[in-house]
Amino acid sequence: MDSFIPLLVIVPIFCAILLNLCHGKDKLVKLLALIFGITLPITPIFVNYGNHFFGGYSPLFLNSSWATNLPSTITNSILFNFHPAITYVFGGMQQIFIFILGILTFFVIFTSLNESKRASGVYTFLIFMGTAAVTAVFLTDDIFHLYIFFEISVMTQVGIILCSNIQRKHETALKYMFLSNIAAPMLLLGIGLLLGLTGNVNISDIIIAIKTGVVTPDNPVLLMAAALILFGWLYGSGLPPFHSIKSAMYSKATPHAAAILQVFTVFIFVSLGIVIIRIFAFISLLRWIIMIISALAMILGISMAITQHDFKRMIGYLAVGELGYVGLGLAIGTIQSITACLFQAVNEILLTGLLFIGVGTILYKTGTTDTNKLGGMLTENPFVAFIFLLTGFAMAGVPPFNAFQSKLLLIQSALNAGFPELGVLMIILSIVTFMTFVKVFYTVYLKPQPENMKIINKKIPQVTVISMVLLLIVCIMLGLFPNIVTNAFSQFAMGLL
Amino acid sequence: MISVQLASLLTSGMLIIIGLFAALFLDNIFKKIIGISFITEGVNLFIVTLGYKSDGVVPIFLPGMVKDVFVQNSAYPLPAAMVLTSIVIGASTLAVMLALVIILYQKHGTLSASKLLMDDEEMEAGE
Repeated sequence: MDSFIPLLVIVPIFCAILLNLCHGKDKLVKLLALIFGITLPITPIFVNYGNHFFGGYSPLFLNSSWATNLPSTITNSILFNFHPAITYVFGGMQQIFIFILGILTFFVIFTSLNESKRASGVYTFLIFMGTAAVTAVFLTDDIFHLYIFFEISVMTQVGIILCSNIQRKHETALKYMFLSNIAAPMLLLGIGLLLGLTGNVNISDIIIAIKTGVVTPDNPVLLMAAALILFGWLYGSGLPPFHSIKSAMYSKATPHAAAILQVFTVFIFVSLGIVIIRIFAFISLLRWIIMIISALAMILGISMAITQHDFKRMIGYLAVGELGYVGLGLAIGTIQSITACLFQAVNEILLTGLLFIGVGTILYKTGTTDTNKLGGMLTENPFVAFIFLLTGFAMAGVPPFNAFQSKLLLIQSALNAGFPELGVLMIILSIVTFMTFVKVFYTVYLKPQPENMKIINKKIPQVTVISMVLLLIVCIMLGLFPNIVTNAFSQFAMGLL
Repeated sequence: MISVQLASLLTSGMLIIIGLFAALFLDNIFKKIIGISFITEGVNLFIVTLGYKSDGVVPIFLPGMVKDVFVQNSAYPLPAAMVLTSIVIGASTLAVMLALVIILYQKHGTLSASKLLMDDEEMEAGE
């Protein structure tokens, strides 16, 4: 047991509370936010792998002093494996994801503090709180605990939208809350059904109960629970039919806020997706449904992106489309595909975050993200244009960037698993993504500048450019040395299956 | 005679269905919010019902209780603990939703969901 694992959640919560208390004292908020931001990627590096059992109540099979002299009726029953407390699991996969989350959060805080004249304690509170919530969602082995932090992350996402100065933010926030308050009780109902069937909310215990025959796999209540949890998952991750509300949310947030919102979405998507695969992997119908919805997300997301004239909304739709790739990897359900899907998720977090920060530079200079009102930005800042072009290439899966490696691995896994049509679909949609970027690059950077376009700020903050360069370096590193992450992911996938 | 548990389950089912109907098909935003509250409370009632035990005792071991009798008769405490947390979450989300409705009513002067929650594309088409 590692008693430092909860620090991954406690540290950002503590930082969030402190920043909220300092609201109104601009200089102090800026200083504290930067110091706290640095702790986020550092903490997961120093925490040891292992399990943390809250209150010290470990299962009997891990506690030799308690397990001795117990009657065989207990040692031979599922009670021997029963988890009496909330459990956090921290391994290589979790470490990579939480590290990447920390990096992105730090850069988002870094750029937002530099681009805005006043530092909001409430805004930074929401970012740190959201980070804590999605970290807990990722670490927990308790499905009800996951639900609680899922709800907290929804609330922080709504708060982040409300903190932005974009028109119709209240309407979008309310719409998102409406859907959330329908989908979240459905998720809770699914958890309740699992509790009723197995007497447990610990995911490992639920799996043991199903595998040992305490619950028969073809129990209709189990299927109902699977459907309800799937519904919650679709909502939380913005897959169809919730894709338009998610992209609307991104467009109603400031670009750096949108960057962090999409990170939260990917975290919820991956963690709930893994839970679904762990518990309900034996239901082949469910895997088919995930596969169809993911393919639909890819087609709808990427094809709708190409028609958008709002830059943020376009990236929002692309983010939904890229999530489809991750979902396909989960649905194929082989070690190779799950490794690829986790790798793709990391790449999506980095690239979409980078793109949103890139959009932030355009908004900062011109005050708009409407591509119809933009043009000739290449002469304004050629270096940022170059980084943006490279990021677009990376997202489309052009070598030597990271998404090339993950998409290649996904296509290979689809072919190896006997789904060549999925491989073809992924290639076609990568080409469409490439076309979208070429179109938007021409519209924003190469097209002659419209006469009514105004340049509000001459110089883009150096901090933003540095953040973009550093994130791009991480993308290139992952593209050149994918083993940095794939080894940990394949080990996790082996354990999962 | 219908058991308490069955009656609770039926009530929770009815609350969820009525709530879903209100949230999806009614236009008044307050009625939608009431519907959403119905869904949440229906789910809470369902989970509480899971922990119900006929002639059971509260799962708190007090001095003077016989251990075996307590183990035999105590209700399952986990659902109650879960529902307590769920009620807190439900109350906070309800407060945020109501606050947003107040702001939107002051801004638009209507409580019609179809007018307030229009998509950007619909807005542009209307203009």
